Amino acid sequence: MLARLKGKWTYFVIAALLLFLILIPFNWSLGQYTVLMIFIGLFTMVTVGLCLLLGYTGQVSLGQATFYGTGAYISAVLSKICGVNPWLAMLIAAVATGAFAYVIGYPIFRLRGNYLAVATLGLGVIVYILLRQLGPGGPDGMAGIPYLSIGGFVFDTSFKRYFLVWFFCLAVLLISQNIVRSRTGRALRAIHGSEAAAESIGINVDQFKVKIFVLSAVYASLAGSLLAHQMSHISPGSFSPLVSIIIVVMAVIGGLASVWGAIFGAATVSILKYELLLGFGEWDIVIYGLILMLVMIFMPEGLFVRLRELYGRWRLRYAQRGAET
Amino acid sequence: MSEPILETKSLSKAFGGLVALDKVDLAIEAGKITAIIGPNGAGKTTLFNLVTGVYPASDGEILFQGTLLKDTPPHRRAALGIARTFQNVLLFGNMTVLENIMTGQHPRSRYGFIGAALRLPKAHREEETISLNAMKYLNMVGLGTYAEQNALSLPLGQQKLLAIARALATEPQLLLLDEPGAGLNKLEKQELSDLIRRIRENRISVILVEHDMPLVMGLAEWVIVLDSGQKIAEGTAAQIQRDQRVIAAYLGEEVE
Repeated sequence: MLARLKGKWTYFVIAALLLFLILIPFNWSLGQYTVLMIFIGLFTMVTVGLCLLLGYTGQVSLGQATFYGTGAYISAVLSKICGVNPWLAMLIAAVATGAFAYVIGYPIFRLRGNYLAVATLGLGVIVYILLRQLGPGGPDGMAGIPYLSIGGFVFDTSFKRYFLVWFFCLAVLLISQNIVRSRTGRALRAIHGSEAAAESIGINVDQFKVKIFVLSAVYASLAGSLLAHQMSHISPGSFSPLVSIIIVVMAVIGGLASVWGAIFGAATVSILKYELLLGFGEWDIVIYGLILMLVMIFMPEGLFVRLRELYGRWRLRYAQRGAET
Repeated sequence: MSEPILETKSLSKAFGGLVALDKVDLAIEAGKITAIIGPNGAGKTTLFNLVTGVYPASDGEILFQGTLLKDTPPHRRAALGIARTFQNVLLFGNMTVLENIMTGQHPRSRYGFIGAALRLPKAHREEETISLNAMKYLNMVGLGTYAEQNALSLPLGQQKLLAIARALATEPQLLLLDEPGAGLNKLEKQELSDLIRRIRENRISVILVEHDMPLVMGLAEWVIVLDSGQKIAEGTAAQIQRDQRVIAAYLGEEVE
């Protein structure tokens, strides 16, 4: 009963979401938010990766902005300086970032819990400093990165890029949802539940941790490439350790054990960051910290998951009342 | 005696200065229910952890179906056909009862990230088999009505049955049960005994570590007694109950 209700609910929400997403750029009053929506899409991609890693597998990463950054910089350098086709640059960036995550994955996942958190934070700091010191343009970053295009169709306006970004974002969400509801998804959740028990039933714990870490890195890299090719300007500040923390806040708000919640988390924080808290300047991080603490204390399963639960309970009670009368 | 399912030769394990297992030679007959008993700290759980590869032996050998298990990691031993349960149950609390068992089918299915991500036909087919098999094991332990409940919402007795079902779902040749009877009431122990006999009928060899003597004596076809890391006796339940060393070391007043 509850499962069926939940199934219908999901389809309804996905359909409504799709319609809403398609209409936004056309709407007069919402049209002004197209750029904001692009950022929500990009952050959703990064957040979904962290949801899989942190929410499903139980492995914390405070360095997801690293892969967002490597994706953006590899794409930018290849396409602008080496003259590689932007699509190919994006692909190479994803493969290189994935390989990077794979190589550091094995040593880093020997660590657990707090140690893993600190190590990933350290990774974020190192890569950020490297980008600042050695990246083209230093702290100012790079400008003039070519746009993506298909044939003669160039993604040179926000209106066009909006659809491009959300195409990738929804693909990533769909793929993640498929993974979650599969043998692989069960293996990941088993690792979260008990590593000893997972190994005892034949799950290669270390390998699964690294693989999901690589996948999350590839998601972030794709988002980074999309960012580079559409802003045509990137700087290290967009990939600082602070951004990694903001991504954690997004994942936590979105509900760590929910793929679609990532949109909710990314949207909430992006709207705060780019609209509501603009007047706060750098003080906005205080608000994120506060949100993080409140959510962790009062709804550790995440705001989105909690709201969904409340809605489910309300629907059930409503249905029961209907049956009684 | 046919080829033993499991053999240990001079198996030893030391944790720093503490010798948990001391040159233990075992030959576990295939298709039988074997019990390992002994006082606390005798090395029973250590033996299980060595056999399943949780940590390496300090010395000696373990042979499973005649093959030497050397650096084989735990997950590969599960694939070879060694399954276990834990004293502290260790169910996946973030899953339903059925999902726990489906996860147990992991080594008997193949599709991975790509099959899952793209929902390839192969993944669909395997998922169907996994669900069907999981239902089979669920019904075998009599938890069919609880399929969609959270695993940890079950009372302890049923959690232990679920843990056995999860282990069975790996389709093992050898099942190691670590204190399956602990914390169960009389009725639940009866159900457990029946289940273990049914498992044996399915040609799965069972080794159980257990403190509950009536349960052991009623079930086990062969009993091995460990004390302070050494094997001090083995035999049928009747022989063990009469063995003076065992009485002295362990059973004490429980046997007249």
